Amino acid sequence: MGSKREHRAPATVEIGLPADCRMAAQTALLADLLVALDAPATQLDGRAVERVDTAALQLLTLFRREALSRGCAVSWRGASATLREAADTLGLAKALDLPAAMPA
Amino acid sequence: MSTGGLAQFQQVFIEESLEGLDTMESSLLALDEGGDGELVHTIFRAAHSIKGGAATFGFPEMASFTHEAESLLDEVRGGKRAIDKPIIELLLRSVDCLRGMFDRARAGQPLNDSASDGVRGELAAMMGRAAPAGTTPARRAGDQAEAWIIRFHPHAGMLAGGNDPLRLIRELAGLGELAVEADLARLPALARLDPSECHLGWSIELKAPARREDIAAVFDWVVDECDLSIEPKPSAAVTPAAAPAPASLADAAAARGTREANAESSSVRVAIDKIDGLINLVGELVITQAMLDTFREEFDPSRLALLQQGLTQLARHARELQESVMGIRMLPIASVFNRFPRLVRDLSQKLGKQVRLELHGEQTELDKTVLEKIGDPMVHLVRNAIDHGLETPDRRRAAGKGETGTLKLDAYHRGGYIVVEVSDDGAGLNREAIVRKAVERGLISGGEGMSDEAVAELIFQPGFSTAAVTTDLSGRGVGMDVVRRNVSDLGGTVTIRSKAGQGSVFTITLPLTLAIIDGLTAAVGEECYIVPLVSIVESVQLKPEALKTMPGGGELFRFRGEYLPVLRLHELFGCTGAKRAIEDGLLIVVEGDGGRVGLFVDGLVGQQQAVVKSLEANYRRVQGVSGATILADGSVALIVDVAGVTRLGRRSKAA
Repeated sequence: MGSKREHRAPATVEIGLPADCRMAAQTALLADLLVALDAPATQLDGRAVERVDTAALQLLTLFRREALSRGCAVSWRGASATLREAADTLGLAKALDLPAAMPA
Repeated sequence: MSTGGLAQFQQVFIEESLEGLDTMESSLLALDEGGDGELVHTIFRAAHSIKGGAATFGFPEMASFTHEAESLLDEVRGGKRAIDKPIIELLLRSVDCLRGMFDRARAGQPLNDSASDGVRGELAAMMGRAAPAGTTPARRAGDQAEAWIIRFHPHAGMLAGGNDPLRLIRELAGLGELAVEADLARLPALARLDPSECHLGWSIELKAPARREDIAAVFDWVVDECDLSIEPKPSAAVTPAAAPAPASLADAAAARGTREANAESSSVRVAIDKIDGLINLVGELVITQAMLDTFREEFDPSRLALLQQGLTQLARHARELQESVMGIRMLPIASVFNRFPRLVRDLSQKLGKQVRLELHGEQTELDKTVLEKIGDPMVHLVRNAIDHGLETPDRRRAAGKGETGTLKLDAYHRGGYIVVEVSDDGAGLNREAIVRKAVERGLISGGEGMSDEAVAELIFQPGFSTAAVTTDLSGRGVGMDVVRRNVSDLGGTVTIRSKAGQGSVFTITLPLTLAIIDGLTAAVGEECYIVPLVSIVESVQLKPEALKTMPGGGELFRFRGEYLPVLRLHELFGCTGAKRAIEDGLLIVVEGDGGRVGLFVDGLVGQQQAVVKSLEANYRRVQGVSGATILADGSVALIVDVAGVTRLGRRSKAA
């Protein structure tokens, strides 16, 4: 499983999650993620996330599941405490494979 | 076994029983507030009729359930047991269970469910214990357990309603340690995902002793938007017989609100005097027609006055007949109001507030379709008023007010409209918080110089939907934009007046019926358009110099201190032969979709009632047009959808 950052090839798509990663941001995020599905590897950056909701985590979970099933790698550049707490609360930490702690 | 004949009676039985349940509920609530003993008899009679009917019409499960409730009531009636809060609560929940059973009976599903089994068990337990009069029975079975399993599957629309499972589960974590397992089985493919829909589900173990009510209370606001089961963890249950009880009372009341709103029944019960009135009118019409018929044989100019008189009579009867026929669809708003005592009681208890609910104008009648759709927006407003508007007793005392807040629902006729007001004497809107949020959202640059009305108007902006506006207490600010949209779908408007420290008044103005609207007929080129009267602020004639042209081509004019955009209907609808010079035509200032615009037309032809014909059903949906009507000369006029036109204009200017 492509959980760590082994895919640093140019084909890696990087997607930065916005600070306010709630419902209103999701249409744009979904569009980005749909594009990323076609790339061999995607790196998500959740370090900036300050506010997040179930819709966002659902979208990310679904993206990761679908990307992996297509054989694409999904990795994290980092995740804010907010993002990790929310994923834990919703029981999605495993499905999202968030990095254990935010790199300093 | 259900033959067609029996099924028909079943339907009547169900409708009557639902009314009986309403009676039971309102009587129970009255008893709770110290009503007299006669109420017990009323409740008993209602339960007894339901039991008898259920047995007759082939619903044995319902009959046996009601039998338990009836037996308990019988003991109360016979003086063997004093009525107290736990009994009232249990009976209220029995009413909820029976409503659920009737819903399932209609849908042809099995009648019993875990909730009804649970309540039946509690009823039996209460009877079996046969507590001496006046004592409160011990804790009910199933109330408390050492650990709980909560299965929570939100419906797809829950997120869009502003309720986030994340917040709920966090709140649940306040009761003790959780083990949360997400169920991903229902997730669609990414490409088919609507991010605003929820497809996740959860199985949550609460690893701490808790009371069922406390768990259910977490889900109070969403019980109608999710599938929820709360069960003691098997090995740890205090009472093995503990049945999965229903979520709390507030759940049930809220659920019922939605259920009633959703179950748009296709039949209507009409008071016999309305039918008699119709028959009378038809009689009059026949007489007038016979009188007019005499002119067919011989027409003598000397009888012209008589002919005119006959025609006037015909017109009057036709109008009266129309009103009476519409009246058949008119039902008192009491059926919507009646759900609020329960909702207010449960919510105020939960939030620790003291609320006195006043209902006025329950007998005001409005169209059945409107009635069925107005429930949800009103529930939103009432919830908001209790949650955000009314203060806790301490804060009220500190503000020099009585501890008990007043929530007033009022309905009355004004012109051809129904006005429904939801008012509270709470804290009013928090101007600073709204301005701050609006600035944060980029809706305005600053609050200076904005009138209180303009600030209040901001809460109807979509950006405000999910965040709490007046308090950050619960984060449950319900989307006022949704309320406004629902009301404007019914051709109505919502406005708010608020005074800091004195409270807020939400005013919903609705047309009496959706089938007929009052409108102004406006000429645009060779066409006529109907502008609904409810949206019209006034009409003005402009001098050329009053019109300002913007760099992008948009036009503005000054109206009562603000600049409003001008929308030329002939441009929007592509009419030929229309007047172009601003001083030749007329501007109709209309209000819709949260803003005012001036519609430029050639002139006004007159005011008339228009019978709305659906354009969608007869042709297809056209933007900016809500329907069509037939004018007296037989030609077709389109009815302007003010909100749609405003949006259309905004877009064409933006493009």
